Amino acid sequence: MKLRNFPRPFIPVFALICRLTLAIIFLYAGIEKIFNPGDFAVAIYNYRLLPDYVINFVAILLPWLEVIIAINLITGINVRGSALLSAVLFLTFATALTINLMQGLDISCGCFGASSGNINWSYIVRDLSLFCISVFVMIYDRGWRYFFV
Amino acid sequence: MTKNNLSQKFYSYFREVIIILAIALFIAIVSNSIRPDNTPLFGFSSAALIKEQQAKIPYITLSEAYDLYLKKKVIFIDARDPYSFEEGHIVDAINIYPDEVSLHTQSLKAKANQGFIFVTYCDGPQCPLSKETAHALILRGISTVKVLVNGWSLWLNAGHPVSKGKK
Repeated sequence: MKLRNFPRPFIPVFALICRLTLAIIFLYAGIEKIFNPGDFAVAIYNYRLLPDYVINFVAILLPWLEVIIAINLITGINVRGSALLSAVLFLTFATALTINLMQGLDISCGCFGASSGNINWSYIVRDLSLFCISVFVMIYDRGWRYFFV
Repeated sequence: MTKNNLSQKFYSYFREVIIILAIALFIAIVSNSIRPDNTPLFGFSSAALIKEQQAKIPYITLSEAYDLYLKKKVIFIDARDPYSFEEGHIVDAINIYPDEVSLHTQSLKAKANQGFIFVTYCDGPQCPLSKETAHALILRGISTVKVLVNGWSLWLNAGHPVSKGKK
């Protein structure tokens, strides 16, 4: 397998960088939370958006979903589906942050496990930026095969 | 792009999403079940958590609260219902029922920045309202909050200044 000689590499290369950036973010966020599902459940509860009976389920599922998305993005398998899920997740996070900030709650973000800071408006900007990156990856990513013959 | 192509594309996206969700769900449930400290899948109790969080809120004694009042360093927050508040309350207290904390957050934060300590109270040793209001304040980033348990009765019986009516 050798590197392909292609005339306009900018968009595919940029999409690759975006894909790997998303993967690193999800991997870091997911692994942190897998180790402490109890703390993450409390962080989810503090958002006051979900009923009690689904909080633990989300706290257990979401970190693994993030890790699986990260692995798919790194390996280039199911990239479109991963990017779509990533976009949905970041939009959901941004919505949850907006609702809580509008209510004046000063709670831990829970974004990267227990080490996360308290929520503020910059987190919404971050999540919306990552949402845009996810959409970009979903549309323009060509997978690893594009770069090799 | 033809309609057929579009539906094929949606189908492939949908298929990938389902595969990822199924894998994540499987691994999440299996890994949780083999953990020695596994978390019950549907067993979260917000009531227990709130109780635990409220237990961490510091108490203040009547003499400490009165001392702060004399030094003008305290803002009393009456967590009882408006009718009880109108009947009588600690002088200069503000009436904030637990559900109404968000309406006062900005003004209270400004007071907190000026160095004031907030003391919440209600009536009766078992009354939960003072703890609930204190908890709601802490959730909104106001950390200098203490609870005066059975505050209204203690303050009234000690003969400290009280007033009546709305505020």
